[in-house]
Amino acid sequence: MQSSHASVSHTAVHRFAHAMNSPLVKALRHPWVESIVRLSAVEDALKCLHPLLSLTSVRARVVGILDETATTKTFVLQPNALWAGAHAGQFVRVQLEINGRRVERSYSLSSRSGARRIAFTVKRQDYGLVSQHLHRTVCVGDVLTISQALGEFVLPDALPAKLLLLSAGSGITPVMSMLRDLQSCNYRGDAVFLHVCRSSDDLIFAAQLQALATEFSCMRLVLHYDASAGLFSPQLLAQHVPDLSERDTWMCGPAGFMDAISMYWDAQYLGAALFSERFVATPILPSTAPGTAVAVSFANSGFTFTTRGTDPLLVQAERAGLTPKHGCRIGICRSCQCVKTSGTVENLQTGEVSSAPNELIRLCISTARSDVALAL
Amino acid sequence: MSFAKPTTLSREQVAEFEREVNTIRDGVMNNLGQADVDHIRGMVRISRASEIGGRALLHFGLGPLSWLAGVLALASAKILDNMEIGHNVMHGQYDWTGDPALNSQTFEWDIACDGEQWRHSHNVIHHTYTNILGKDRDLGYSLLRMTDEQKWKPRHWFQPLANLMLAMGFQYGVGSHDLEIGRYKHGVMPKAEFKARLDRFLTKVGKVWFKDYLLFPALALWSAPRVLAGNFCANLIRNLWTYLIIFCGHFTEGVAIYCEEDTRDETRGDWYIRQLSGSSNLTGGRLFHTMSGHLSHQIEHHLFPDMPAHRYPEVAPQIQALCRKYGLFYNTGSLFRQYLTVMKRILTYTLPPKRLPV
Repeated sequence: MQSSHASVSHTAVHRFAHAMNSPLVKALRHPWVESIVRLSAVEDALKCLHPLLSLTSVRARVVGILDETATTKTFVLQPNALWAGAHAGQFVRVQLEINGRRVERSYSLSSRSGARRIAFTVKRQDYGLVSQHLHRTVCVGDVLTISQALGEFVLPDALPAKLLLLSAGSGITPVMSMLRDLQSCNYRGDAVFLHVCRSSDDLIFAAQLQALATEFSCMRLVLHYDASAGLFSPQLLAQHVPDLSERDTWMCGPAGFMDAISMYWDAQYLGAALFSERFVATPILPSTAPGTAVAVSFANSGFTFTTRGTDPLLVQAERAGLTPKHGCRIGICRSCQCVKTSGTVENLQTGEVSSAPNELIRLCISTARSDVALAL
Repeated sequence: MSFAKPTTLSREQVAEFEREVNTIRDGVMNNLGQADVDHIRGMVRISRASEIGGRALLHFGLGPLSWLAGVLALASAKILDNMEIGHNVMHGQYDWTGDPALNSQTFEWDIACDGEQWRHSHNVIHHTYTNILGKDRDLGYSLLRMTDEQKWKPRHWFQPLANLMLAMGFQYGVGSHDLEIGRYKHGVMPKAEFKARLDRFLTKVGKVWFKDYLLFPALALWSAPRVLAGNFCANLIRNLWTYLIIFCGHFTEGVAIYCEEDTRDETRGDWYIRQLSGSSNLTGGRLFHTMSGHLSHQIEHHLFPDMPAHRYPEVAPQIQALCRKYGLFYNTGSLFRQYLTVMKRILTYTLPPKRLPV
């Protein structure tokens, strides 16, 4: 597996790095060239010629949509030449424009390392803006913009003799990708794959798992259905996998599931390593009452200060000795606009409280209502 | 033209006015969506197509008619780029889309005014301190005397000529505006700061000159003079048009001027009233509004600088109705009529005051 990883991703990364730093893109980014022809104009023109053509972004055509369960669909994509490949277990950020607003969500890939066609699986959330959009409006033939593969949730180059893959619900996607890799590199060790879901109707990749279980003799498949076998607990895990402390474990699932496993791991002093992937969005911090002490961090400059009170962030930052860029101080000019990467803020002019990650805020009319991280 | 009379509205009425203006604002801002992005992207496409068409006609066309068509197409492209796209995008009207190509803080436009310097002189200074004498540097552009309260100096004899020069080279007037030469001359601004601003301005001038007066004429080989003249005329038309629209936004008759003391403890409601009384609108059709970057709705623009500008015609009747209700003057008229009053003001204040102020 190591060799296939190395060769595929090395050439792909190289190709990507080459494209981003190609003399053409470099030249187009030069301010004097930008003043003659904007890079955005070049990109738009290329897009008109062919929807996958781009000098700077990975675009991928949807070549297949598979219904996995009643609420999950797998999207199979054919990315353009800028795609640098992925390791099993990694995820991509999928960028969509919904009603004029650009939104991004991360989805783990279920395709194996180095696959030319990549796939991710999406569970439809009841109030999920992006998952609803993907399920309802995206069709075969559409083109999506995605990021390069990201994330550290990957199998090591030197595989352990015994390992456990553990997933729940739609957390199966990165683990499926790892299983495909284990099979294709002829893994000869002892792998257990334990998956938890509500019932057999909710089992994603059911047919492929069945096939894998018969073809891939090194893997023992354990399926736990909460509906018939009772709610899954870490104690049940020990029953299914008695030699837990000898198995390095990779797990992915809902936050509650993973928290319970982690706590169990710590409580039992299990010697094996536990790697996990949180595939849900960053937890939204509940807004605190005005006046509670909160920590404000300037992520880029590495400065953090604690503050309380309902003064605008700009005033509080200045009091803490910082000098963020600003202008009118009354919310008009947007000189102090910056990206809030996480946290909850209140707009002092409209009273609107918002927790969305990576959102543009104006420091002069925003006050922190939880710990806040700013890209400054 | 003198300082605005204090408003006859009670504090409660001002607060109520503020609430009503906020409601109008929220009505639009809470339902921004695809139509707004489609509008601005459509404008970007038209501007690009117009520029390509215009330059192609100048480069490859034969005869004076194709030259004229090329000039007009290029001028329209620049007008759209500067007014409906550049000015509005840089106000942050499309920041909510999350599209980096429409980001207010990084946008650059095709004019001899550096985007960053514009964001300071226009978004920060002009829109915050609108029509406050001594604070709003757009009031006469430090060149023209527009009110009794500005001291008359002998150079104001040349005011009509200065006005004409400013109109023709408006992009340089706007571009050098943030240099604040006056502050530097009076020693308020350190030399290093002035030098940095000057470098930035000259670099931007260099870029637009390189493009319009060197690169494209050179590419045209033997048609170089035709292209050079065409580019110059397109820039001139854009300059005259932007000058005309912008002067009619704040320098017409009946626009109120404020002094700093009167605006000290301003509430948002007071601020709205100052923006309203300090601006004037132009009447016209949809094409006219678009080509003016919707600055023909200067009043609505000053009340809601970050509302996508193509929505101004939709809120204008509501603002006008509000003005009737509160007895506030909603200054609007045709381009011809409004510009006539601007010229009247420029000529009136060319002359020294008849009697010295006490």
